[in-house]
Amino acid sequence: MVKASSSGWSSGLSGGADTIVARATSSGPAALAVVRLSGPAVRRIAAEISPAADFSEPWRARLVAIDGLGEQAVAIAFSAPRSYTGEDMLELTVHGSPFVVRSLIERCIAAGARPAGPGEFTRRAVANGKLDLVQAEAVRDLVGAETAWQARNAREQLSGRLSQRLAGLRGDLVELLARLEASLDFVDHGVELDRAEEAARLAGCRERLAALLDTAAAGERIRDGVRVVIVGPPNCGKSTLFNTLLGNERAIVAPHPGTTRDVLEAELDIAGLRVTLVDTAGLRDAADPIEEEGVRRARAAAASASVVVELWPADAGPGAPAGDGEITTLRVLSKADLPHPVDAGRLPVSCATGAGIDRLRTALAETVAGGVPDLGGEVAISHRHRCGLERAAAELAACDLAAPELAAESLRCAARELEALIGVVATDDLLDEVFASFCIGK
Amino acid sequence: MAAAPRDLLVVGAGHAGVEAAAAAVRLGARVAVVTLSLDTVAQMPCNPAMGGIGKGHLMAELDALGGVQPWAADRAGLQFKVLNRSRGPAVWGPRAQCDKQRYTVIMRRLLQRLAGIDIIEGEVSGLLEAAGRVVGVRLADGRRLQARAVLLTTGTFLDGILHTGAERRPGGRFGERPSVGLGADLRARGLELRRFKTGTPPRLHRASIDVERLQPEPGDADPRPFSWRTRSVANRVLCWLAHTPEVVQSIIADNLHRSPLFSGQIQGVGPRYCPSIEDKVVRFPHHRQHTVFLEPEGLDSDSMYVNGLSTSLPADVQEQVVRAIPGFERARFLRYGYAVEYDVVAPLQVAPTLECRSLPGLSLAGQLLGTSGYEEAAALGFVAGVNAVLLGRGEAPFVPERERSYLGVLVDDLCSADHREPYRMLTSRAEHRLLLGVDSARERLMPTGARLGLVPESVFHVEQERWRRRREVRDELATRALNPDAPTRALVRRIAGVEPTAPTTWAGILRRQDVDAETVAAALPVLSGLTAEDRRAVLGELHYDGYLARHQREVERLARLRHLEIPVDLEPAEIPGLSREAADALRRHRPRTVADAERLPGVTPAAVAILIGRLGRPRDARRRPAGSMTEGEPCPES
Repeated sequence: MVKASSSGWSSGLSGGADTIVARATSSGPAALAVVRLSGPAVRRIAAEISPAADFSEPWRARLVAIDGLGEQAVAIAFSAPRSYTGEDMLELTVHGSPFVVRSLIERCIAAGARPAGPGEFTRRAVANGKLDLVQAEAVRDLVGAETAWQARNAREQLSGRLSQRLAGLRGDLVELLARLEASLDFVDHGVELDRAEEAARLAGCRERLAALLDTAAAGERIRDGVRVVIVGPPNCGKSTLFNTLLGNERAIVAPHPGTTRDVLEAELDIAGLRVTLVDTAGLRDAADPIEEEGVRRARAAAASASVVVELWPADAGPGAPAGDGEITTLRVLSKADLPHPVDAGRLPVSCATGAGIDRLRTALAETVAGGVPDLGGEVAISHRHRCGLERAAAELAACDLAAPELAAESLRCAARELEALIGVVATDDLLDEVFASFCIGK
Repeated sequence: MAAAPRDLLVVGAGHAGVEAAAAAVRLGARVAVVTLSLDTVAQMPCNPAMGGIGKGHLMAELDALGGVQPWAADRAGLQFKVLNRSRGPAVWGPRAQCDKQRYTVIMRRLLQRLAGIDIIEGEVSGLLEAAGRVVGVRLADGRRLQARAVLLTTGTFLDGILHTGAERRPGGRFGERPSVGLGADLRARGLELRRFKTGTPPRLHRASIDVERLQPEPGDADPRPFSWRTRSVANRVLCWLAHTPEVVQSIIADNLHRSPLFSGQIQGVGPRYCPSIEDKVVRFPHHRQHTVFLEPEGLDSDSMYVNGLSTSLPADVQEQVVRAIPGFERARFLRYGYAVEYDVVAPLQVAPTLECRSLPGLSLAGQLLGTSGYEEAAALGFVAGVNAVLLGRGEAPFVPERERSYLGVLVDDLCSADHREPYRMLTSRAEHRLLLGVDSARERLMPTGARLGLVPESVFHVEQERWRRRREVRDELATRALNPDAPTRALVRRIAGVEPTAPTTWAGILRRQDVDAETVAAALPVLSGLTAEDRRAVLGELHYDGYLARHQREVERLARLRHLEIPVDLEPAEIPGLSREAADALRRHRPRTVADAERLPGVTPAAVAILIGRLGRPRDARRRPAGSMTEGEPCPES
């Protein structure tokens, strides 16, 4: 570990890695842009690109002139290890012109930095022990968060809550393993297993693992969002409802049955969750091969939905019977401005008058949010976590304390799975996998 | 007779030295053993027992290779017992109480009878070096002894100090003076030495203990010998079990300041795995009692060893502690427990051949290399002795592999990690423990023993025939289907007491937790035709079936990586794409093969892939480059 020297910046970094530079904000013209540098040569590069500036005091914003660029920047220097990456860092806020940013980065490269790869700053933070792998993933999720739920979950994960759960579970597995090993190797020293106690410990580990796995479904909803598919007979107003919910004329609307022949998708935020709204072709015996394909796609879309909004037009007489109920279904009576028989099971909606739309929105929000189980303050896990935890759970399920040398094998494998999740023994392959989805500059 | 040049000079005639000398001379080398006294050959200065869990595994392997310790332990054995019998076969640990006196006599006679060994009494005070090689030793009386190679096995004698309470006196063992000049000589030659500590319990007079009040501990009903050289063994003594009463805790707590371990008098690091009673009381205050085994030290000896009471407390405190144990109230002390502090050579300085990396011609083995125990010492002595001869002839050395033997685990652990306490073998140190049960030791290692010429061809042939038969039986049990027809079901119900539902095999039934495999095996003609040992081996493999396959795959993967040797002149920093951390680890540890590299911290799978790319792909590397012999490779004729 490197200590910050008393003169402000540390003299270098243990890793001795090279110094990287990248734009940390989105590309394209903007009011401001942030360019960040990290690595052992930051101090030297800073002195070179801004010879007049005084960087002796880290963690303070100051206005500096960038040499040869005719540009001023708000600069904050960070001294290792008290920085995001754990290395010496410099953050420069400049005007967000693509030209200014490009010139500044080129200036840094000329002074000895090299362009950062995707996620390289966070990767260094992991390498320097500032974050573990689970927290690094949370950084990526938080940067990409589009909804309140995604942001909340990513922040919780970044706080280390999930890491602590995983590390704690691993610790308990290792402790149980140590007890088993001691009972195997030191039987002649009178070390005996307390079967009941060890069984209780194992059961506790299994329960905690199961509880973590239980958050997977919620995790999927939060991360991947919810698919809401509108289905119904032709010309019942599916595309009109689709446009109304979106608030724009995305789908072509016409008074002819069979106008929508393909599946249309659009994203929107409902109740803090990402919702993919899907418009489909009307379900009927198709008149031509193209429409037939549209109907087939509509059925497939409905089958993959989290929530189905099933429309039945008011002018079509009695509604169709309810579906088989496997997918959550909102049953809606469309064109409710037309005279219609009362159907208690259907929510009357009219896109023409706007009647019932707010009630539909509310019902949708409740249905969508209801799909996220109460996490009780826990963090919902991702697909990667779920795969590792499922493998660990399979090992624990096979763990039979009556055969301690085999139980030890299972515990060892389960602990290894958890280690791989947190990155205790992270392999480069795993790091590559995790950091592949990062953007440059983070 | 004009003296031919000596091939190997073994310094020390303890368990490591004797094993090394016996192996080397049987390989045809001219060997000399230098010992302080011929009376103390292969002494058992601590517990009067050989083997146990991990240690018994090492003995089984040593025996398969043709070592002598298991054979001598059978002959000196007084009580034989397999530990962990209620667990699976991988962790069964054969152990024997031994007659200490008899053990020394057997080993001394062996040394004297092996043609080609000179035994020299004297104290080695330094090494002789010529042209960067160690070429002999200097004795304290001024004599100089030359040899092609020198093996140091000086145990706990290097600047040894014995402690009992505040009393400290120089000594290697009770009643024996230490070796003082040699340590300074090694330091002067640049070797790093460090201070270790071990201890031993008091010895009590047999007649002074009321054993009627203790719990007798008999040997196994079917005592098994360690060695293929031994036809049968018998139990001739009992041991006894006792527990320390709660008052012992307060006796020790009140006197802790008088223990050299806690007063700061002892600086050396002791083995966590073999703690003194004062350690146990301090570290496990919630344990109200501690187990104590009373073990006879010999048939003709009145001395009883108090296993579990290792201590360096002052004599009067030892008396209080011992006499507090029910049955020990009138215990008479023949000797008080003591701790010994001694210098060891930091083991990272030796290569897997046990030759010193910086001083060619010098090898190290036994407690001097930081291990603890007679079995670890003998195992290392064997490896060092064999390699000193092979290297002297310019032949490929014998480097046991950690995925195939505890011997490999021992050597690899010592040479690749920095040990700060005496190293004791434990089954948990072996990643592939399930493959390394004592019953498979011969199948794993006897081919190497036979190739070295340390196991007679005739014995090897008989063994091979047995392994073939075992495989046949195993295949038969695993492949012949048992259909759930009425007569078969009745048969299974009668023999195994369970009801087969789906078509299965006898292997499937024997694996079931609710089936007593031994009972079933006795009733099945195909199994009952085997010897008890072979039957155990077959059942053992069935027991672990699926797990073994997983380990076998990993072992085969490692075997492929092991064929990829890393050239000594490879500069890791110059390999493109290799992380700094990986390059550092490679430079520091200088692993011999990619399989060894893979275990180093910092060497990730990606780094291994880069390394493999640099060295050539495994499947193109069928032919092993010159430089090493391991199991499965023919040994050059000696």
